[in-house]
Amino acid sequence: MKNLQDAKKKYEEVEIPKELNNIVKNSIKEAKRKQKKQSPIKQWGIGLVAAAALFTTSVNVSPALAQSLATVPLLGQFVQVVTFQAIKLDKGTYNADLKTPNVTGLENKELEQMLNEKYITENEALYEDFQNEIKELDEAGGGHLGVTSTYEVVTDTEDILSISRYEVNTVGSSSTTMRTDTIDKKNQILITLPSLFKDDAYIEVISTYLKDEMAKQMANDPDKIYWIDDQEEIGFEFETIRPDQTFSITADHKLTISFDKYEIAPGYMGVLTFEIPTEVISEYLISDYYIK
Amino acid sequence: MTNKEKFQLVENYIIEHQNDYYRLAFSYVKNKENALDIIQDSIFKALNSIDRLEEERYIKTWFYRIVVNTAIDYIRKHGRMQAMDDDILHTFLPEQHDLEKDYDLYEAIDHLNEPYKTIIVLRFFEDLKIDEIAVIQSENSNTIKTRLYAALRKLRVNMEEKVEL
Repeated sequence: MKNLQDAKKKYEEVEIPKELNNIVKNSIKEAKRKQKKQSPIKQWGIGLVAAAALFTTSVNVSPALAQSLATVPLLGQFVQVVTFQAIKLDKGTYNADLKTPNVTGLENKELEQMLNEKYITENEALYEDFQNEIKELDEAGGGHLGVTSTYEVVTDTEDILSISRYEVNTVGSSSTTMRTDTIDKKNQILITLPSLFKDDAYIEVISTYLKDEMAKQMANDPDKIYWIDDQEEIGFEFETIRPDQTFSITADHKLTISFDKYEIAPGYMGVLTFEIPTEVISEYLISDYYIK
Repeated sequence: MTNKEKFQLVENYIIEHQNDYYRLAFSYVKNKENALDIIQDSIFKALNSIDRLEEERYIKTWFYRIVVNTAIDYIRKHGRMQAMDDDILHTFLPEQHDLEKDYDLYEAIDHLNEPYKTIIVLRFFEDLKIDEIAVIQSENSNTIKTRLYAALRKLRVNMEEKVEL
């Protein structure tokens, strides 16, 4: 084979896998869903109604479900996190496994209810999306689809409780998002990222630190790839963290910042968490009460 | 053009041309799973950065650029393994002077370094214009032409074959 025409023929002979169409469509849908999430008010409204309806039915209909509410590690003396509701679906190529955390024992009932309602809403929305995707996939001739949501208590000290929820969507390959809530157990308040700092300057400071850190890691390890400016690439490089970027506080009072799969790096890098050295941010912190 | 209109436009474009982009992705990784991964990653990137697409007529070069860069990223991670395979191969094989001559062209293209390989693939397999490749690679057209000649020389494609640049 010596000429380009033959080579081209070979190039064009590559077989198009039949799952390509589904993967393309589902990826588009997934991207759409992520965009919708950025306008939370709308989602909250619809989600709450659906959540209330579905949750009530499932507990009433299934005593087994009510019984299966498992208690997960006891936290502090009063505040604890339990699995409130677990949804499992296993239908051939469709799999869903959703676990909703539930915080109990907070004296600030408003906060407790706010958190718990949010967790239910998240999972109900997830389940609803999943059902719709199954329907569409069925119409398109079937395929593999999975959704998993789970949670993890990342920090539990006398002062702080931090819960991360993960959501994994599997269509061919998977995408993962993570959200974390951090609660001040003593003062019974939900800590937000902006509330830790005097003003918005933290966004720039942390972003600059992270970009340096990513560049350093890439230089030391060719397997690591982050999408930062110096790659002159595709136009969605990491520039700054969001004001409400996912964060947590570790047991030894360090701030960590997290990114979803695909948010700042190719998929194989997964969910990424960086610990921010306190000296980088100390002058911007309101106090050293939470972060030391 | 609102973002919503853009989204719809890009969505339609991707669905319509999915086979072309799959082949392109496949030409880098040579296996189905990785090619599908690249397509999926590319779609996420495209739809997440839709703000950067300024006009409808740029869709094609914009999306090619995303897929090419995603594929090269992928190779950067997995490619070293292939390089080692070749090294091992050469230590076991007796020296073969004729090896290159007998190479089949398709495989030879695969062994070109970047950006030569991408230029050849885009020009001859995807039938893109030099100007379009220039946009995708952020270079001027003359640079792309020079590289294309260099790549063809490396491939020892007979220039008398009247290759249309």
